[in-house]
Amino acid sequence: MITAKLEEYAFGGLVAAIGVFTLVDATTIAARDDNVVGPRAFPYAVGVLLVVTGIVAIIATARGKLGEAEEGEDVDENVRTDWITVGKLVAVLIAHLVLIDLVGWPVAAALLFFGAAWTLGATWWRALPIAIVLALVVQVVFAYGLGLSLPAGIFEGVPFLDG
Amino acid sequence: MLMEGFATAAQPEYLLYALLGVTLGTAVGVLPGIGPAMTVALLLPLTYTLDPTAALIIFAGIYYGGMYGGSTTSILLNTPGESASIVTALEGNKMAKAGRGAAALATAAIGSFVAGTIATVLLTLLAPTIADVAVQLGPADYVALMVVAFTTVAALLGSSPVRGLASLGLGLFIGLIGTDTLSGQQRFTLGITTMADGIDVVVVAVGVFAVGEALYVASRLRHGPIEVVPIGGKWMTGEFWKRSWKPWLRGTFIGFPIGTVPAGGADVSTFLSYAAEKKLSKRPEEFGKGAIEGVAGPEAANNAAAAGVLVPLLTLGLPTTATAAVIVAAFQSYGIQPGPLLFTNNGPMVWALIASLYIGNVMLLVLNLPLVKIWVKVLQIPRPYLYAGILLFAALGTYAVNFVTDDLIVLLVIGVIGFFMRRHGYPVAPLVVGLILGPMAEEQVRRTLQISEGDLSALVTSPFAATAYGILVVLLVVTVVLRLRRKKSEVTV
Repeated sequence: MITAKLEEYAFGGLVAAIGVFTLVDATTIAARDDNVVGPRAFPYAVGVLLVVTGIVAIIATARGKLGEAEEGEDVDENVRTDWITVGKLVAVLIAHLVLIDLVGWPVAAALLFFGAAWTLGATWWRALPIAIVLALVVQVVFAYGLGLSLPAGIFEGVPFLDG
Repeated sequence: MLMEGFATAAQPEYLLYALLGVTLGTAVGVLPGIGPAMTVALLLPLTYTLDPTAALIIFAGIYYGGMYGGSTTSILLNTPGESASIVTALEGNKMAKAGRGAAALATAAIGSFVAGTIATVLLTLLAPTIADVAVQLGPADYVALMVVAFTTVAALLGSSPVRGLASLGLGLFIGLIGTDTLSGQQRFTLGITTMADGIDVVVVAVGVFAVGEALYVASRLRHGPIEVVPIGGKWMTGEFWKRSWKPWLRGTFIGFPIGTVPAGGADVSTFLSYAAEKKLSKRPEEFGKGAIEGVAGPEAANNAAAAGVLVPLLTLGLPTTATAAVIVAAFQSYGIQPGPLLFTNNGPMVWALIASLYIGNVMLLVLNLPLVKIWVKVLQIPRPYLYAGILLFAALGTYAVNFVTDDLIVLLVIGVIGFFMRRHGYPVAPLVVGLILGPMAEEQVRRTLQISEGDLSALVTSPFAATAYGILVVLLVVTVVLRLRRKKSEVTV
């Protein structure tokens, strides 16, 4: 529970910090000096809203009024947060966005699906073929069905895959 | 006009789009982890090649379909469900476990159909009239309406008004990033050139809904088999009709106004309908143990509210739910601004859209009653594949906006923020509404003050604006009272 509280402070602090940034950065927006409301006024209002709500959230946390974590069909309220799984999923997403430009979308996408499914507990030999087929099907549907060509990467020049 | 709309919507091509929309909508409604808002956002980049009418028919189908699908999940799945159908879970799940699942599914589906159809009739009758009145509204009046929408979405919904407002603030801030439309000045771009166009709505919506949700579920994933209650009992009996029809009608007339005014969307209407049914029932002791009225009323209210939300959306351009906000973004991507002029400028399109709602409701009744077993199968998709698929399509939809990997970085950052928001009770809907409504609100504020030459009182002196603020105050008071009463009833239960 102590970590949950610390996290709440941190998130409230983040909201307030974005508010401070908004207020500070808004002063640098170039604006003509006349009595009509310019491009700065609304950012100031948003900044104030963020600072105030961030601070009030921190005060509420200090008083023990913690936020209620969202419920869901697939969410088990009785287990502890599995940070390793979250970290792995973030890593898989980063790998995906790096790989698109290096080896093309089909490979990057297959890896994203396989990596995520495997992380979440799927059997690897079942997840791998599904990932490959799914990525190739999407690639073909995009190229021929929608006329949007995803970068083929290593499949460049291959019929059907390179739109 | 509506007949012309039907002539358009009944063309085979558009019927197919409507079917695609309602099917997708039911699927995402049934599946945990994805909802209509995210689905519409994901499809936005893919539908640029379609004509606007076709795209909007698909989106409307997804919106209505999501409402139907959610009830199947809350009745049959052994775990609590989404907020909008939580009341359905209360009685419906009990009914299913007692071997009366068929009757629960039937009253939910038929109730949704009855409510959806009546509410669409009301929408058809009301919308043009409201649009005629709304044409005369000035910028200050719009500011007032938006303030009402912001307050209800952020502060009146959810358990923590502060966190709702913080979420709204984050959305407003993201909406500020980019080039100011009135002065051409860059704001909060940190000197990065790709930021000058702002952050795309698709990236934010998909990030906060899909990636945020997937990370959150992954952090506390329920392992083990997915327990679906087998569908048992008779579908429709004489007693079924006798006990259901009144709650359906009451639910409709509770849900529609609540969806329209913007006073809190679907959640509030289901709670009110449930309370009403419990109070009026001759068998209040059955409530909590599987009373059919407790499914029939709230499900009808839920769907009627969903149709009600379309009234301010189409006539004022005012979204009051996350899905409605994304639909506004869809309109804008086609260069169409929903609002009072929509019916004059894009008449054929709007009427085709409204006609497709009637058709969609019929399709949904068929999809969700005789074909309900298909959705039970969909519900059982193994979760690792489901969430891997959500992440894949989230990344794909985001990448397809501009075909640059920079967008994927933004997606990930917003996804992580969405993850922490879920952990700490910050609702995500206000963020999306703020993002889309914020820039519109800023423009109207500045236009008001340009006309008044900086006189701030111009924001509140128009009779319409003054009334709107007055109603908002009343709403705030009523909500506080309701909230106290609900807390009290929770204690006694």
